[in-house]
Order: sequence, then structure tokens, then C-alpha cells
Amino acid sequence: MSGAPAALEATGLGKRYGRTWALRDCSLALPQGRIAALVGPNGAGKTTLLHLAVGLLAPTAGAIRVLGGTPGRDPALLARVGFVAQDAPLYGDLTVAEHLTMGGRLNPRFDQALARDRLGRLGIPLDRRVGTLSGGQRAQVALAMALAKRPQLLLLDEPVASLDPLARREFLQALMGSVAEQGLTVLLSSHLLADLERVCDYLLVLQASRVQVLGPVDDLLDRHKLLVGPRRDPDRIAGVAAVVRATHTGRQSTLLVRTDGPVRDPAMAVADVTLEDLVLAYLADPSAGTLPGPAAPASDPLEART
Amino acid sequence: MTWLVWRQHRQQALAAAIAMLALALFLVPTGRQMHAAFDDLGLRSCLPGAGPSEALPSDDGCTSLSEQFSGRFQGLATTSLLLLFLPVVAGMFWGAPLVAREVEHGTHRLVWTQGVTRLRWATVKLALVGGGVVLVAAAYALLVGWWVAPLNDATGYRFTWLFFDQQGPVLVGYALFAFALGVLAGTLTRKVLPAMAITLGGFLATRVAVALLLRPSFLPSQRRVYPTVSGPAAEPNQLAGDWVISRAVYSAQGVKLTPGSGSQALCDQATAPSCVAKYGVGSYNQELFQPADRFWLFQGIETALFVVLAAVLLLLAVRLVRRRIA
Repeated sequence: MSGAPAALEATGLGKRYGRTWALRDCSLALPQGRIAALVGPNGAGKTTLLHLAVGLLAPTAGAIRVLGGTPGRDPALLARVGFVAQDAPLYGDLTVAEHLTMGGRLNPRFDQALARDRLGRLGIPLDRRVGTLSGGQRAQVALAMALAKRPQLLLLDEPVASLDPLARREFLQALMGSVAEQGLTVLLSSHLLADLERVCDYLLVLQASRVQVLGPVDDLLDRHKLLVGPRRDPDRIAGVAAVVRATHTGRQSTLLVRTDGPVRDPAMAVADVTLEDLVLAYLADPSAGTLPGPAAPASDPLEART
Repeated sequence: MTWLVWRQHRQQALAAAIAMLALALFLVPTGRQMHAAFDDLGLRSCLPGAGPSEALPSDDGCTSLSEQFSGRFQGLATTSLLLLFLPVVAGMFWGAPLVAREVEHGTHRLVWTQGVTRLRWATVKLALVGGGVVLVAAAYALLVGWWVAPLNDATGYRFTWLFFDQQGPVLVGYALFAFALGVLAGTLTRKVLPAMAITLGGFLATRVAVALLLRPSFLPSQRRVYPTVSGPAAEPNQLAGDWVISRAVYSAQGVKLTPGSGSQALCDQATAPSCVAKYGVGSYNQELFQPADRFWLFQGIETALFVVLAAVLLLLAVRLVRRRIA
């Protein structure tokens, strides 16, 4: 991370529509070379954050920097950021080939061959008008266009929402393949946690317009454990820094905890968590956070390590 | 950018070409008819003599020829009033969807995130499509100018309301203004249909306001006085092409006797007693008018006015595109 600017860096970033803050006090740094998942309930500000990052929106408060520059005004920076908006908007009356021509005319490093090759392998005919393609094919065309820009940062807003499970898996595989080839950074929003777990190595959870969780997936999974044992006060378990979520039955407690060391308690069965468990636990409790959540301290060890 | 603008607007360009062709199919034959009739009736040789003179006897012959001509082509002259609404089409079908359709379909998020800034997207697009509007409007103005020339000359009406509005460079100003209004409305509403409605309403309101309130006083009007009773009846030459803004009868003491702004009294020796009975001895008619030779000046002023309005609206629209929409 030394030397290279963060792929995405926000300080005190906020965006207000009328009286409502869509995003507030958002400070984060996304290192380059990651595939980051952007997760949160509807209305949490995911789309707003992506639009701020690509320069479609200007911040109301704070600042956002992308690849070291301010998004929106600089065509060279626009050309280095690939973006696929929600629902993969394309011109319905233009053919696939015409979209690629457009990409070539509007972007300095647009790789026609790459896009044609990708779409050819997917069996998407270049001479078809985009309006006649299926939702999945359109998403693929939009991704092919974004990748053909040869971007350093790729921002995808719910790219798989319109796809069936098989197409979704193919889409994400294709995405991972391209990321491996091109070595770019991806920030990808989605509700489909199981899919994200397969693909992403970095997690960003937005909740109620604020950043709730931020960090590398491996770290987060290492530092969170699922404890099952007799019902008791969780504060006195060695190695537990915080309880993210506790559910109790008559005699038994199930705790999803953040640890600060090995959990040594013979009464508790310790199990690893999945990304899905972890995200759902945090989403269920808006006040919990590994920073910079509203109730959390100013500096979190997890964030400091990244 | 140029490629994309052409690809997105070529259908509109084709539609405009077809519409122009259809219009030409109507205007060219009827125009040739009018030009031929104008020559056959002898108006071409008679009018230049009658034209400039301040007053002329009502039986000079040219007037009756002119009446004969305008009687024959009155239908066409009336039909041509429909063409008054043509420039607003540029606003409704070219201007309003320019930004609004992108936002409606979400494609602004595609095109504004390519390697081209929004400012460049907006300027190139507005320059090319706006240039197209100017070209089409200019071609249309030339065609209509040729077509309406005999009617102008035979009736002397070209400076008056409705006739002034359907010919000359003002058409380019109107079309450009309608286009700019459409673009701004679409940028504000972000929806095509409301933007089209606003364009239509705003265009008509602005046009009517300028024509009725501003145009008569672009330059101070001139005054002309002539008696109600004269020897051989002599009224100001209608065929000279002056734009009479108001006209009324005044008493010898200068008191306005007729209501409104469209009355005059003309008596010859035989009917003089009725004029005297009604208005008294020494009564006179007074006209306020814009002289015919200001026609092109007024066309220029009004064109400039609408071009400036269009420029202001387009600048506002570009500002909004840069700052507001996501």
C-alpha cells in the first residue's frame, strides 16, 4: 500500500438530498488490488457512495479521492475508472458493436479486441440491438464495456441483481478472471452475500448512511467467532472484545463475537463464522461496528492494520 | 463524441429532411402558382410605382389588382398561418429529449462515466444538434421567404403580426430558442413528456409576449395625420407595407373621438356632411406606424433577442448538467 494512492479514499464524506443525508461522515480507504464488497440494506447509501466515486454526484460535505484524484472533472481520471450503474443502462436502439464503437470514441485506451473477445466467448451477437438482449446479456455487455476501458478501478452497482443463479456465477467468474488478468481494484455492491463471499477479499458495510464495517475479509473472519454455550454474561469470556450479536434460548447462548485474542473458555464451543453470518449480525445491530461506526471509538485496531 | 451525436440523432435528422421535403412538395407548386399569378396580373409592373408613395387614390388600379390577387390566394395565406407553430417542433422533439431521455433511461450514467467530461458531452451535443436546428430553420426560412414574397408585395402585410412571424431570420431565432427551452425544460424535469409540454407553453407565451408587448416599440413609432374629408378620397398607401400599430379619429382640438385603435374616417366631397356631423369641422385621422423600411431591422432585433435568450437558457442547462444531475 505504500506509495500507491488508495483506490478510493473518503474523509468526512457526506451527501444530502434536501433534508435527508444519503451518506454521512463517511471516512474510509480502500487499498488498491482488492475486490471489495459493498454491502448494506436498501437506502444505506451504497449507490450514493458509488456515484460520488465516479463523479456523477458531488459531495455535500467532506472529500472523496479516487486513484489520487478528484472524480468527475478530469477526463483522464474518468477513463481510468470503469463503472456499471444499477440495471446496467445501455442505449436500447444501438447494437452491441455500436456500443463498442462508442466506448472506443469516448475512451483513450479502449480495448476493442478485449471486449469483442469476451462477448464472442459469451455468445453475444455483436450485430444485435441491445434492446433485444436479455437482462443477463445486457449486464455482460455493460461489464465488457467497463473492462475494455482497461480501468484501474472498477465500480459495479448491483451487477448481478438481474441474473439467474447460473448466469450470476458465470458473471462473477468472468469478473474474477478479468481482475486476475488486469490487476485492477473492484468495488462491487450486492445483496447476495453468498456470491460475495466467493469473490471478495475486502468488506465495506454501510448502514443508515454510515460506514459500519471495513476491512479485509480474512482479517474479519479471523477476528470473529461464533460461540455456543450455556447462558451467561458474555463480558467475562477471555479473548472477547465485543459481542456483535447474542441470541439466547432458555439455557443456551449463541454469540457472534469480535475477539482480541484466542477464546479460551471450556464451556463455549468456538466456531468460525461465514461472511454471511458476520454481515447479518452487524446489519441486525446498527450500533455495533468495527469502525467508524457511530458507537465505536475513534481508532479501531482492525482499520489501523489495513 | 461527434460519432455518438450523429448516431443518436440521425433519425431525427432524417425525419427533419422528410418533413422539409413534404413541406417543399406543398410550398413549391403553390409558390410557383402565386409567382405566376403575380406576373400575369401585372402586379409586378404596377406595384413598384405605387409602392413608395405616401398616399394614393383608391382607384389607382393597382389596389384592385392586389385585391384580386389576395382574394384568389386568401386560402393559402390562411393555411400558411399553421406554419407559425413549426419552430416549436425543434424544441419539443429535438430539445426536450436531449437530456431528459438520457435520464429517463438511465443512460446518462453510462455516457457520463466514459472518458469524456459532462461539460464536453453537453457542449459538443448542444453545438451539433443546435447547429442542425439552425441549418434546418435557415433552409425553411429561405423556402418560406420565396413562397410568401408575392403575398407580401401584393398585400403590403409583411410587417404586420403573423406575417412578420412566419418569414425571415426570426424563424432561426425562434427555432433556436425553442430548442434551448426544450433542453432546459428536459434538464429540469428529467422527463420527456412534461418537458415537451413546458416547451410548448413557454414558447407560445414568450412569442406572444414579445410580439405584442415588445416588438411595437423596438423603435419609437412614427405619426401620420390625414384629414377625414379630402378631395379625391386619399388614404395612406396600404401597399407601401408600413406596420400600422394604431389608428383613430381626432377632433380639430386634438381629442380622440373613436375608441380602441383601429378606426378611421374617410369622406369625399359627396359624403363630407356625414363626417362633419359625426366628428366636427377639421377632424383628422392619426396613425402610429412603423415604416416599411424598418422591416429587416426589426427582423434583426427580434432574431438577436431570441438568440440571446436561447444562449442564456443553454448556459443554464449546461450548468445544471455539470452540477445537479446524477
